[in-house]
Amino acid sequence: MNPFYFGSGQHRLFGIYMPPLARRAGARSIVLCHPWGQEYLRAHRSMRQLASTLAAAGHHVLRFDYFGTGDSAGEMAQASLGDWEGDIAFAIEELRDTTAAAKVALVGLRLGAALAARVAARRPEDVDALVLWDPVVGGAEYLGELVSGASYAMDRVPRPADAGGGYDVLGFPLTGTLMKEIAAIDLCELVPAIPARMLVLASQALPSHQRLEAALARRPAGEGALERIECEPAWLEKEDLGAGAIPVAILQRIAGWFG
Amino acid sequence: MKESIREQAMLLGPRRSLVGILAQAASSPTDAERPMVLILNSGIIHRVGANRLSVALARELAAAGFPVLRFDLSGIGDSEPRADGLAPLDAAMADIREVLGSLEGSRGTRRVVLAGLCSGADHAAIFSASDPRVVGLVLLDPSIPKTRGYYLRYYGMRLGRPGTLLNVLRGRHPMWSWMKTRMAGAPGSPPESFGPDLQSAEIRAYLEGVYRSSVERGVQFLAVFTAGHERIHNYREQLLDAFPGIRFGERLRLEYFGDSDHTFTPGVARERLVRLVVDWASGANFSTAREPDDAEPSSEGRARGSAIPASRPATP
Repeated sequence: MNPFYFGSGQHRLFGIYMPPLARRAGARSIVLCHPWGQEYLRAHRSMRQLASTLAAAGHHVLRFDYFGTGDSAGEMAQASLGDWEGDIAFAIEELRDTTAAAKVALVGLRLGAALAARVAARRPEDVDALVLWDPVVGGAEYLGELVSGASYAMDRVPRPADAGGGYDVLGFPLTGTLMKEIAAIDLCELVPAIPARMLVLASQALPSHQRLEAALARRPAGEGALERIECEPAWLEKEDLGAGAIPVAILQRIAGWFG
Repeated sequence: MKESIREQAMLLGPRRSLVGILAQAASSPTDAERPMVLILNSGIIHRVGANRLSVALARELAAAGFPVLRFDLSGIGDSEPRADGLAPLDAAMADIREVLGSLEGSRGTRRVVLAGLCSGADHAAIFSASDPRVVGLVLLDPSIPKTRGYYLRYYGMRLGRPGTLLNVLRGRHPMWSWMKTRMAGAPGSPPESFGPDLQSAEIRAYLEGVYRSSVERGVQFLAVFTAGHERIHNYREQLLDAFPGIRFGERLRLEYFGDSDHTFTPGVARERLVRLVVDWASGANFSTAREPDDAEPSSEGRARGSAIPASRPATP
Protein backbone atom coordinates (compact mmCIF):
# COMPACT_ATOMS: atom_id res chain seq x y z
CA MET A 1 0.00 0.00 0.00
CA ASN A 2 1.41 3.33 -1.03
CA PRO A 3 -0.31 6.56 0.05
CA PHE A 4 0.92 9.56 -1.94
CA TYR A 5 0.10 12.95 -3.39
CA PHE A 6 0.04 13.61 -7.13
CA GLY A 7 -0.86 16.58 -9.25
CA SER A 8 0.79 19.94 -8.73
CA GLY A 9 0.52 23.35 -7.15
CA GLN A 10 -2.79 24.04 -5.51
CA HIS A 11 -4.37 20.99 -7.17
CA ARG A 12 -2.62 18.19 -5.31
CA LEU A 13 -4.67 15.02 -5.11
CA PHE A 14 -4.31 12.24 -2.56
CA GLY A 15 -4.23 8.65 -3.72
CA ILE A 16 -3.48 5.19 -2.43
CA TYR A 17 -1.95 2.71 -4.82
CA MET A 18 -2.25 -0.99 -4.02
CA PRO A 19 0.03 -3.24 -6.04
CA PRO A 20 -1.05 -6.78 -6.95
CA LEU A 21 -0.66 -9.25 -4.11
CA ALA A 22 -0.57 -12.19 -6.47
CA ARG A 23 1.07 -12.75 -9.83
CA ARG A 24 -1.36 -13.42 -12.64
CA ALA A 25 -1.77 -13.10 -16.36
CA GLY A 26 -4.01 -10.29 -17.47
CA ALA A 27 -3.57 -8.11 -14.39
CA ARG A 28 -5.74 -5.02 -14.79
CA SER A 29 -5.05 -1.44 -13.73
CA ILE A 30 -8.19 -0.19 -11.97
CA VAL A 31 -9.11 3.30 -10.75
CA LEU A 32 -11.83 3.52 -8.08
CA CYS A 33 -14.09 6.60 -8.17
CA HIS A 34 -15.69 7.59 -4.86
CA PRO A 35 -19.23 8.85 -4.24
CA TRP A 36 -20.05 12.32 -2.90
CA GLY A 37 -20.18 13.94 0.52
CA GLN A 38 -21.43 11.80 3.41
CA GLU A 39 -21.71 8.86 1.01
CA TYR A 40 -17.93 9.07 0.54
CA LEU A 41 -17.33 8.84 4.30
CA ARG A 42 -19.80 6.01 4.81
CA ALA A 43 -18.60 3.98 1.83
CA HIS A 44 -14.89 4.53 2.47
CA ARG A 45 -14.35 1.17 4.16
CA SER A 46 -16.23 -0.63 1.38
CA MET A 47 -14.06 1.00 -1.27
CA ARG A 48 -10.98 0.13 0.75
CA GLN A 49 -12.15 -3.47 1.02
CA LEU A 50 -12.86 -3.55 -2.73
CA ALA A 51 -9.33 -2.31 -3.42
CA SER A 52 -7.90 -5.01 -1.15
CA THR A 53 -10.03 -7.68 -2.82
CA LEU A 54 -8.94 -6.62 -6.30
CA ALA A 55 -5.28 -6.38 -5.26
CA ALA A 56 -5.51 -9.84 -3.69
CA ALA A 57 -6.84 -11.08 -7.05
CA GLY A 58 -3.71 -9.77 -8.74
CA HIS A 59 -4.75 -6.34 -10.04
CA HIS A 60 -3.24 -2.87 -9.64
CA VAL A 61 -5.64 -0.50 -7.85
CA LEU A 62 -5.62 3.25 -7.36
CA ARG A 63 -8.11 4.98 -5.06
CA PHE A 64 -8.01 8.76 -4.91
CA ASP A 65 -9.85 11.75 -3.49
CA TYR A 66 -11.28 14.40 -5.83
CA PHE A 67 -10.17 17.99 -5.37
CA GLY A 68 -11.83 19.48 -2.30
CA THR A 69 -12.65 16.09 -0.80
CA GLY A 70 -10.97 13.66 1.55
CA ASP A 71 -7.25 14.27 1.88
CA SER A 72 -6.87 16.13 -1.41
CA ALA A 73 -6.19 19.84 -1.55
CA GLY A 74 -8.86 22.45 -1.73
CA GLU A 75 -12.41 22.94 -0.60
CA MET A 76 -15.48 21.32 -2.10
CA ALA A 77 -17.16 24.71 -2.40
CA GLN A 78 -14.57 25.59 -5.08
CA ALA A 79 -15.01 22.36 -7.04
CA SER A 80 -17.17 21.28 -9.97
CA LEU A 81 -18.10 17.98 -11.59
CA GLY A 82 -15.93 19.03 -14.52
CA ASP A 83 -12.99 19.35 -12.12
CA TRP A 84 -13.69 15.87 -10.77
CA GLU A 85 -13.86 14.32 -14.22
CA GLY A 86 -10.49 15.95 -14.82
CA ASP A 87 -9.24 14.40 -11.56
CA ILE A 88 -10.29 10.95 -12.78
CA ALA A 89 -8.24 11.63 -15.92
CA PHE A 90 -5.24 12.60 -13.72
CA ALA A 91 -5.67 9.39 -11.76
CA ILE A 92 -5.78 7.36 -14.98
CA GLU A 93 -2.50 8.92 -16.13
CA GLU A 94 -0.91 8.40 -12.71
CA LEU A 95 -1.84 4.72 -12.67
CA ARG A 96 -0.71 4.18 -16.24
CA ASP A 97 2.65 5.78 -15.38
CA THR A 98 2.98 3.32 -12.50
CA THR A 99 1.87 0.16 -14.29
CA ALA A 100 2.60 0.93 -17.96
CA ALA A 101 -0.93 -0.25 -18.75
CA ALA A 102 -2.22 0.73 -22.18
CA LYS A 103 -5.76 1.07 -20.89
CA VAL A 104 -7.38 1.11 -17.47
CA ALA A 105 -10.67 0.08 -15.90
CA LEU A 106 -12.84 2.47 -13.90
CA VAL A 107 -15.05 1.40 -11.00
CA GLY A 108 -17.44 4.06 -9.72
CA LEU A 109 -19.97 4.11 -6.88
CA ARG A 110 -23.03 6.40 -6.99
CA LEU A 111 -21.92 9.84 -8.26
CA GLY A 112 -18.50 8.34 -8.87
CA ALA A 113 -20.13 5.92 -11.30
CA ALA A 114 -21.76 8.74 -13.26
CA LEU A 115 -18.44 10.60 -13.44
CA ALA A 116 -16.61 7.42 -14.47
CA ALA A 117 -19.16 6.82 -17.24
CA ARG A 118 -18.63 10.35 -18.57
CA VAL A 119 -14.86 9.90 -18.59
CA ALA A 120 -15.16 6.48 -20.25
CA ALA A 121 -17.41 7.97 -22.93
CA ARG A 122 -14.94 10.80 -23.66
CA ARG A 123 -11.75 8.75 -23.43
CA PRO A 124 -12.37 5.37 -25.10
CA GLU A 125 -8.65 5.21 -25.94
CA ASP A 126 -7.85 5.13 -22.21
CA VAL A 127 -10.71 3.15 -20.62
CA ASP A 128 -11.69 -0.34 -21.77
CA ALA A 129 -13.71 -1.58 -18.78
CA LEU A 130 -16.29 0.16 -16.62
CA VAL A 131 -18.11 -0.94 -13.46
CA LEU A 132 -21.09 1.17 -12.45
CA TRP A 133 -21.98 0.30 -8.87
CA ASP A 134 -25.40 1.68 -7.87
CA PRO A 135 -24.85 4.54 -10.30
CA VAL A 136 -26.57 7.89 -10.21
CA VAL A 137 -28.84 7.50 -13.24
CA GLY A 138 -30.66 10.83 -13.34
CA GLY A 139 -29.32 13.93 -11.67
CA ALA A 140 -32.72 15.25 -10.57
CA GLU A 141 -33.53 11.90 -8.96
CA TYR A 142 -30.21 11.97 -7.09
CA LEU A 143 -30.71 15.53 -5.87
CA GLY A 144 -34.11 14.46 -4.57
CA GLU A 145 -32.46 11.62 -2.63
CA LEU A 146 -29.93 13.99 -1.10
CA VAL A 147 -32.66 16.41 -0.04
CA SER A 148 -34.92 13.74 1.43
CA GLY A 149 -31.93 12.27 3.30
CA ALA A 150 -31.28 15.66 4.88
CA SER A 151 -34.71 16.26 6.33
CA TYR A 152 -33.55 17.86 9.59
CA ALA A 153 -32.96 21.60 9.70
CA MET A 154 -29.34 21.12 10.78
CA ASP A 155 -28.69 18.68 7.92
CA ARG A 156 -29.79 20.98 5.09
CA VAL A 157 -28.83 24.61 5.44
CA PRO A 158 -29.06 27.19 2.65
CA ARG A 159 -25.71 28.64 1.65
CA PRO A 160 -25.25 32.36 1.04
CA ALA A 161 -25.21 33.44 -2.58
CA ASP A 162 -21.72 34.90 -2.24
CA ALA A 163 -20.51 31.47 -1.09
CA GLY A 164 -21.87 29.77 -4.21
CA GLY A 165 -25.47 29.32 -3.11
CA GLY A 166 -27.05 25.88 -2.91
CA TYR A 167 -27.17 24.03 0.41
CA ASP A 168 -24.91 22.46 2.98
CA VAL A 169 -26.23 18.90 2.85
CA LEU A 170 -25.30 16.64 5.75
CA GLY A 171 -22.23 18.75 6.38
CA PHE A 172 -21.01 19.07 2.79
CA PRO A 173 -21.46 22.01 0.43
CA LEU A 174 -23.80 21.24 -2.46
CA THR A 175 -23.16 24.53 -4.23
CA GLY A 176 -25.33 26.05 -6.91
CA THR A 177 -22.70 24.97 -9.47
CA LEU A 178 -22.71 21.36 -8.29
CA MET A 179 -26.50 21.23 -8.16
CA LYS A 180 -26.76 22.52 -11.74
CA GLU A 181 -24.15 20.06 -13.00
CA ILE A 182 -25.67 17.13 -11.11
CA ALA A 183 -29.13 17.96 -12.44
CA ALA A 184 -27.74 17.56 -15.97
CA ILE A 185 -26.56 13.97 -15.39
CA ASP A 186 -28.36 11.44 -17.59
CA LEU A 187 -26.63 8.08 -17.58
CA CYS A 188 -29.16 6.66 -20.03
CA GLU A 189 -27.84 9.00 -22.73
CA LEU A 190 -24.27 7.81 -22.20
CA VAL A 191 -24.34 4.07 -21.67
CA PRO A 192 -25.54 2.86 -25.10
CA ALA A 193 -22.44 4.20 -26.86
CA ILE A 194 -19.65 3.62 -24.29
CA PRO A 195 -17.36 1.12 -26.02
CA ALA A 196 -15.81 -0.17 -22.79
CA ARG A 197 -16.91 -3.55 -21.47
CA MET A 198 -19.45 -2.76 -18.77
CA LEU A 199 -20.84 -4.20 -15.54
CA VAL A 200 -23.80 -2.42 -13.94
CA LEU A 201 -24.81 -3.42 -10.42
CA ALA A 202 -27.65 -2.25 -8.18
CA SER A 203 -28.14 -3.11 -4.52
CA GLN A 204 -30.97 -0.61 -4.15
CA ALA A 205 -33.88 -0.12 -6.57
CA LEU A 206 -34.42 3.27 -8.15
CA PRO A 207 -37.41 4.46 -10.20
CA SER A 208 -34.96 5.28 -13.00
CA HIS A 209 -33.80 1.67 -13.33
CA GLN A 210 -36.50 0.82 -15.86
CA ARG A 211 -35.19 3.53 -18.18
CA LEU A 212 -31.62 2.46 -17.50
CA GLU A 213 -32.39 -1.14 -18.46
CA ALA A 214 -33.89 0.05 -21.72
CA ALA A 215 -30.76 2.11 -22.41
CA LEU A 216 -28.46 -0.80 -21.57
CA ALA A 217 -30.46 -3.04 -23.91
CA ARG A 218 -29.32 -0.79 -26.77
CA ARG A 219 -25.66 -1.69 -26.14
CA PRO A 220 -23.96 -3.99 -28.65
CA ALA A 221 -24.83 -7.63 -27.98
CA GLY A 222 -26.84 -6.52 -24.95
CA GLU A 223 -23.66 -6.56 -22.83
CA GLY A 224 -23.85 -4.64 -19.59
CA ALA A 225 -27.40 -5.52 -18.45
CA LEU A 226 -28.38 -4.26 -15.00
CA GLU A 227 -27.63 -6.89 -12.34
CA ARG A 228 -29.50 -6.65 -9.07
CA ILE A 229 -27.70 -7.93 -5.99
CA GLU A 230 -29.71 -7.58 -2.83
CA CYS A 231 -27.53 -6.30 -0.01
CA GLU A 232 -27.18 -3.32 2.26
CA PRO A 233 -26.15 -0.05 0.65
CA ALA A 234 -22.53 0.85 1.31
CA TRP A 235 -23.26 4.58 1.25
CA LEU A 236 -26.00 4.75 3.90
CA GLU A 237 -25.13 4.80 7.59
CA LYS A 238 -25.58 1.50 9.35
CA GLU A 239 -26.96 2.07 12.85
CA ASP A 240 -24.84 4.81 14.46
CA LEU A 241 -21.51 3.66 13.09
CA GLY A 242 -20.88 6.65 10.83
CA ALA A 243 -20.20 4.07 8.12
CA GLY A 244 -22.17 1.86 5.81
CA ALA A 245 -22.24 -1.90 5.67
CA ILE A 246 -19.67 -3.63 3.49
CA PRO A 247 -21.65 -5.37 0.72
CA VAL A 248 -19.57 -8.48 0.35
CA ALA A 249 -21.68 -9.90 -2.50
CA ILE A 250 -21.13 -6.78 -4.59
CA LEU A 251 -17.38 -6.80 -3.96
CA GLN A 252 -17.16 -10.47 -4.90
CA ARG A 253 -19.14 -9.87 -8.10
CA ILE A 254 -16.86 -7.02 -9.15
CA ALA A 255 -13.73 -9.05 -8.43
CA GLY A 256 -15.19 -12.02 -10.27
CA TRP A 257 -16.04 -9.89 -13.29
CA PHE A 258 -12.43 -8.78 -13.62
CA GLY A 259 -11.47 -12.42 -13.52
CA MET B 1 -0.22 36.05 9.47
CA LYS B 2 -1.53 32.75 8.11
CA GLU B 3 1.16 30.53 6.61
CA SER B 4 0.74 28.37 3.55
CA ILE B 5 0.97 24.70 4.39
CA ARG B 6 2.18 21.50 2.86
CA GLU B 7 0.89 17.97 3.41
CA GLN B 8 2.63 14.65 3.05
CA ALA B 9 1.37 11.11 3.26
CA MET B 10 3.14 8.79 5.69
CA LEU B 11 3.26 5.18 6.73
CA LEU B 12 3.96 4.98 10.47
CA GLY B 13 4.70 2.41 13.12
CA PRO B 14 7.22 -0.42 13.18
CA ARG B 15 5.32 -2.28 10.45
CA ARG B 16 4.67 0.88 8.41
CA SER B 17 1.01 -0.09 8.63
CA LEU B 18 -0.59 3.09 9.95
CA VAL B 19 -1.55 5.66 7.33
CA GLY B 20 -1.28 9.33 8.25
CA ILE B 21 -1.20 12.79 6.70
CA LEU B 22 1.25 15.29 8.15
CA ALA B 23 0.39 18.96 7.66
CA GLN B 24 2.83 21.70 8.51
CA ALA B 25 3.55 25.28 7.65
CA ALA B 26 5.72 25.70 4.58
CA SER B 27 8.31 27.34 6.85
CA SER B 28 7.94 24.69 9.51
CA PRO B 29 8.92 25.69 13.05
CA THR B 30 11.05 23.37 15.08
CA ASP B 31 9.33 21.02 17.45
CA ALA B 32 10.68 22.97 20.41
CA GLU B 33 8.46 25.91 19.53
CA ARG B 34 5.17 24.09 19.08
CA PRO B 35 4.03 20.63 20.13
CA MET B 36 2.78 18.34 17.40
CA VAL B 37 -0.97 17.85 17.31
CA LEU B 38 -2.24 14.32 16.73
CA ILE B 39 -5.85 14.05 15.60
CA LEU B 40 -7.40 10.65 16.36
CA ASN B 41 -10.25 8.80 14.63
CA SER B 42 -13.85 9.19 15.75
CA GLY B 43 -15.39 5.74 15.82
CA ILE B 44 -14.66 4.04 12.52
CA ILE B 45 -14.66 7.20 10.42
CA HIS B 46 -11.31 7.52 8.69
CA ARG B 47 -8.75 10.23 9.29
CA VAL B 48 -10.54 13.02 7.37
CA GLY B 49 -13.06 13.08 10.22
CA ALA B 50 -16.81 13.52 10.41
CA ASN B 51 -17.83 16.21 7.89
CA ARG B 52 -14.11 16.50 6.97
CA LEU B 53 -13.60 18.24 10.34
CA SER B 54 -10.16 16.76 10.97
CA VAL B 55 -8.89 18.07 7.63
CA ALA B 56 -10.12 21.59 8.38
CA LEU B 57 -8.69 21.49 11.89
CA ALA B 58 -5.33 20.14 10.74
CA ARG B 59 -4.90 22.71 7.98
CA GLU B 60 -5.77 25.70 10.19
CA LEU B 61 -3.54 24.50 13.02
CA ALA B 62 -0.72 23.93 10.54
CA ALA B 63 -1.20 27.42 9.14
CA ALA B 64 -0.90 28.68 12.73
CA GLY B 65 2.46 26.96 13.07
CA PHE B 66 1.62 23.58 14.60
CA PRO B 67 2.72 20.38 12.86
CA VAL B 68 -0.39 18.20 12.73
CA LEU B 69 -0.75 14.50 12.04
CA ARG B 70 -4.08 12.87 11.22
CA PHE B 71 -3.78 9.13 11.13
CA ASP B 72 -5.90 6.00 11.13
CA LEU B 73 -5.75 3.60 14.04
CA SER B 74 -5.16 -0.02 13.06
CA GLY B 75 -8.06 -1.55 11.18
CA ILE B 76 -9.72 1.82 10.60
CA GLY B 77 -9.61 3.78 7.36
CA ASP B 78 -6.55 2.76 5.37
CA SER B 79 -4.44 1.38 8.23
CA GLU B 80 -3.80 -2.32 8.41
CA PRO B 81 -5.29 -4.28 11.28
CA ARG B 82 -2.95 -5.45 14.04
CA ALA B 83 -1.93 -9.08 14.16
CA ASP B 84 -1.30 -9.28 17.90
CA GLY B 85 -4.88 -9.84 18.98
CA LEU B 86 -5.03 -6.85 21.34
CA ALA B 87 -8.47 -5.76 22.54
CA PRO B 88 -9.71 -2.57 20.83
CA LEU B 89 -8.74 -0.10 23.57
CA ASP B 90 -5.33 -1.69 24.11
CA ALA B 91 -4.79 -1.71 20.34
CA ALA B 92 -5.60 2.00 20.12
CA MET B 93 -3.15 2.76 22.92
CA ALA B 94 -0.48 0.66 21.23
CA ASP B 95 -1.11 2.39 17.89
CA ILE B 96 -0.74 5.86 19.41
CA ARG B 97 2.43 4.76 21.18
CA GLU B 98 3.86 3.38 17.93
CA VAL B 99 3.03 6.56 16.04
CA LEU B 100 4.71 8.65 18.71
CA GLY B 101 7.68 6.33 18.47
CA SER B 102 7.85 6.91 14.70
CA LEU B 103 7.58 10.67 15.16
CA GLU B 104 10.19 10.76 17.90
CA GLY B 105 12.56 8.70 15.79
CA SER B 106 12.11 10.66 12.56
CA ARG B 107 11.45 14.20 13.81
CA GLY B 108 12.53 14.25 17.44
CA THR B 109 8.93 14.88 18.52
CA ARG B 110 8.77 14.89 22.31
CA ARG B 111 5.62 16.88 23.04
CA VAL B 112 2.18 16.27 21.60
CA VAL B 113 -1.36 17.52 21.90
CA LEU B 114 -3.91 14.76 21.36
CA ALA B 115 -7.22 15.76 19.81
CA GLY B 116 -10.31 13.72 19.20
CA LEU B 117 -14.08 13.63 18.92
CA CYS B 118 -16.15 11.09 20.84
CA SER B 119 -14.14 7.86 21.00
CA GLY B 120 -11.17 9.86 19.77
CA ALA B 121 -11.53 12.13 22.79
CA ASP B 122 -11.75 9.12 25.08
CA HIS B 123 -8.64 7.56 23.55
CA ALA B 124 -6.80 10.86 23.89
CA ALA B 125 -7.73 11.25 27.56
CA ILE B 126 -6.86 7.66 28.42
CA PHE B 127 -3.51 7.72 26.60
CA SER B 128 -2.55 11.02 28.17
CA ALA B 129 -2.94 9.57 31.65
CA SER B 130 0.09 7.38 31.17
CA ASP B 131 2.36 9.21 28.75
CA PRO B 132 4.25 12.35 29.80
CA ARG B 133 4.79 13.36 26.16
CA VAL B 134 1.17 14.54 26.07
CA VAL B 135 1.09 18.22 27.04
CA GLY B 136 -2.38 19.10 25.77
CA LEU B 137 -5.77 17.55 25.12
CA VAL B 138 -8.56 18.68 22.81
CA LEU B 139 -11.59 16.68 23.88
CA LEU B 140 -14.72 17.02 21.76
CA ASP B 141 -17.74 15.33 23.36
CA PRO B 142 -15.75 12.89 25.51
CA SER B 143 -17.55 10.24 27.55
CA ILE B 144 -18.21 11.47 31.08
CA PRO B 145 -20.47 10.14 33.86
CA LYS B 146 -23.93 11.53 34.27
CA THR B 147 -24.70 13.73 37.24
CA ARG B 148 -27.72 14.87 39.18
CA GLY B 149 -27.74 17.95 36.99
CA TYR B 150 -27.87 15.74 33.92
CA TYR B 151 -30.98 13.87 35.10
CA LEU B 152 -32.71 17.05 36.17
CA ARG B 153 -32.19 18.54 32.73
CA TYR B 154 -33.01 15.26 30.96
CA TYR B 155 -36.39 14.84 32.66
CA GLY B 156 -37.07 18.53 32.80
CA MET B 157 -36.87 18.62 29.01
CA ARG B 158 -39.15 15.65 28.56
CA LEU B 159 -41.74 16.61 31.11
CA GLY B 160 -42.28 19.60 28.89
CA ARG B 161 -43.53 17.25 26.19
CA PRO B 162 -47.24 16.37 26.56
CA GLY B 163 -46.82 12.68 25.63
CA THR B 164 -44.05 12.14 28.16
CA LEU B 165 -45.90 13.98 30.92
CA LEU B 166 -48.97 11.80 30.38
CA ASN B 167 -46.87 8.62 30.56
CA VAL B 168 -45.23 9.79 33.77
CA LEU B 169 -48.57 10.66 35.37
CA ARG B 170 -50.05 7.33 34.33
CA GLY B 171 -47.06 5.41 35.64
CA ARG B 172 -46.24 4.05 32.21
CA HIS B 173 -42.93 5.80 31.61
CA PRO B 174 -39.84 3.50 31.72
CA MET B 175 -38.44 5.80 34.40
CA TRP B 176 -40.86 4.27 36.96
CA SER B 177 -39.81 0.65 36.37
CA TRP B 178 -36.17 1.67 36.52
CA MET B 179 -36.70 3.53 39.78
CA LYS B 180 -38.61 0.56 41.25
CA THR B 181 -35.71 -1.71 40.32
CA ARG B 182 -33.13 0.58 41.88
CA MET B 183 -35.19 1.11 45.04
CA ALA B 184 -35.55 -2.68 45.41
CA GLY B 185 -31.75 -2.77 45.63
CA ALA B 186 -31.21 -4.60 42.37
CA PRO B 187 -28.23 -3.29 40.36
CA GLY B 188 -30.31 -2.80 37.20
CA SER B 189 -29.18 -0.86 34.20
CA PRO B 190 -30.59 2.54 33.39
CA PRO B 191 -33.22 2.62 30.69
CA GLU B 192 -31.93 2.22 27.16
CA SER B 193 -32.67 5.87 26.52
CA PHE B 194 -29.86 6.80 28.91
CA GLY B 195 -27.32 5.19 26.61
CA PRO B 196 -24.13 3.40 27.68
CA ASP B 197 -23.73 2.96 31.42
CA LEU B 198 -20.88 5.19 32.58
CA GLN B 199 -22.38 5.20 36.05
CA SER B 200 -20.76 2.13 37.54
CA ALA B 201 -18.46 2.98 40.42
CA GLU B 202 -15.64 1.18 38.68
CA ILE B 203 -15.92 3.14 35.44
CA ARG B 204 -16.43 6.42 37.27
CA ALA B 205 -13.31 5.80 39.35
CA TYR B 206 -11.36 4.81 36.26
CA LEU B 207 -12.31 7.97 34.36
CA GLU B 208 -11.60 10.12 37.37
CA GLY B 209 -8.16 8.58 37.63
CA VAL B 210 -7.54 9.19 33.94
CA TYR B 211 -8.37 12.88 34.16
CA ARG B 212 -6.66 13.39 37.51
CA SER B 213 -3.41 11.93 36.25
CA SER B 214 -3.22 14.41 33.35
CA VAL B 215 -4.30 17.36 35.50
CA GLU B 216 -1.62 16.62 38.07
CA ARG B 217 0.97 16.45 35.32
CA GLY B 218 0.03 19.92 34.09
CA VAL B 219 -1.66 18.92 30.84
CA GLN B 220 -3.66 21.75 29.23
CA PHE B 221 -7.26 20.86 28.41
CA LEU B 222 -9.73 22.19 25.89
CA ALA B 223 -13.03 20.39 26.40
CA VAL B 224 -15.94 21.10 24.06
CA PHE B 225 -19.39 19.67 24.56
CA THR B 226 -22.23 19.85 22.07
CA ALA B 227 -25.97 19.71 22.45
CA GLY B 228 -26.05 16.67 20.18
CA HIS B 229 -24.87 13.95 22.53
CA GLU B 230 -27.57 13.99 25.19
CA ARG B 231 -27.33 10.28 25.82
CA ILE B 232 -24.06 11.13 27.58
CA HIS B 233 -24.15 14.79 28.60
CA ASN B 234 -26.45 17.76 28.36
CA TYR B 235 -24.84 20.79 30.04
CA ARG B 236 -21.57 22.65 30.04
CA GLU B 237 -20.41 22.05 33.61
CA GLN B 238 -21.19 18.33 33.63
CA LEU B 239 -17.46 17.50 33.36
CA LEU B 240 -16.74 19.49 36.50
CA ASP B 241 -19.72 18.10 38.41
CA ALA B 242 -18.84 14.53 37.36
CA PHE B 243 -15.36 14.85 38.90
CA PRO B 244 -15.79 17.26 41.82
CA GLY B 245 -12.56 16.11 43.41
CA ILE B 246 -10.40 17.18 40.45
CA ARG B 247 -9.08 20.75 40.46
CA PHE B 248 -8.82 21.56 36.78
CA GLY B 249 -8.34 25.26 37.48
CA GLU B 250 -6.82 27.32 34.73
CA ARG B 251 -5.65 24.23 32.89
CA LEU B 252 -9.14 23.63 31.55
CA ARG B 253 -10.98 25.71 28.99
CA LEU B 254 -14.54 24.47 28.83
CA GLU B 255 -16.93 25.36 26.02
CA TYR B 256 -20.46 24.36 25.05
CA PHE B 257 -21.85 24.45 21.53
CA GLY B 258 -25.59 24.58 22.10
CA ASP B 259 -26.30 25.02 18.40
CA SER B 260 -24.38 22.02 17.13
CA ASP B 261 -24.94 18.31 16.82
CA HIS B 262 -22.39 15.71 17.87
CA THR B 263 -20.39 15.84 14.62
CA PHE B 264 -20.49 19.62 14.04
CA THR B 265 -22.61 19.20 10.91
CA PRO B 266 -23.41 22.91 10.46
CA GLY B 267 -20.54 24.58 8.65
CA VAL B 268 -20.68 27.57 10.99
CA ALA B 269 -20.23 25.26 14.00
CA ARG B 270 -17.15 23.69 12.42
CA GLU B 271 -15.70 27.07 11.56
CA ARG B 272 -16.26 28.29 15.10
CA LEU B 273 -14.75 25.10 16.54
CA VAL B 274 -11.65 25.36 14.37
CA ARG B 275 -11.13 29.00 15.39
CA LEU B 276 -11.57 28.02 19.03
CA VAL B 277 -9.02 25.21 18.85
CA VAL B 278 -6.47 27.38 17.02
CA ASP B 279 -6.95 30.23 19.50
CA TRP B 280 -6.65 27.89 22.46
CA ALA B 281 -3.57 26.12 21.10
CA SER B 282 -1.88 29.37 20.15
CA GLY B 283 -2.37 30.77 23.66
CA ALA B 284 -1.88 27.68 25.79
CA ASN B 285 1.18 27.28 27.97
CA PHE B 286 2.28 23.81 26.96
CA SER B 287 5.06 22.78 29.24
CA THR B 288 6.46 19.76 30.99
CA ALA B 289 4.81 18.55 34.19
CA ARG B 290 4.38 21.02 37.01
CA GLU B 291 2.77 21.07 40.44
CA PRO B 292 -1.00 21.34 40.71
CA ASP B 293 -2.47 24.68 41.85
CA ASP B 294 -2.66 25.08 45.62
CA ALA B 295 -5.73 27.33 45.76
CA GLU B 296 -9.18 25.74 45.85
CA PRO B 297 -10.96 27.08 42.74
CA SER B 298 -14.28 28.85 43.17
CA SER B 299 -17.27 27.56 41.28
CA GLU B 300 -16.77 30.44 38.85
CA GLY B 301 -13.07 29.83 38.53
CA ARG B 302 -13.26 26.04 38.26
CA ALA B 303 -12.49 26.29 34.60
CA ARG B 304 -11.99 29.00 32.05
CA GLY B 305 -14.62 29.12 29.41
CA SER B 306 -16.81 31.33 27.40
CA ALA B 307 -19.91 32.98 28.72
CA ILE B 308 -21.94 31.23 26.07
CA PRO B 309 -24.98 29.87 27.87
CA ALA B 310 -25.99 26.29 27.27
CA SER B 311 -28.83 26.32 24.81
CA ARG B 312 -30.64 23.63 22.96
CA PRO B 313 -30.80 23.48 19.17
CA ALA B 314 -34.08 24.23 17.49
CA THR B 315 -36.33 21.20 17.46
CA PRO B 316 -36.18 19.75 13.91
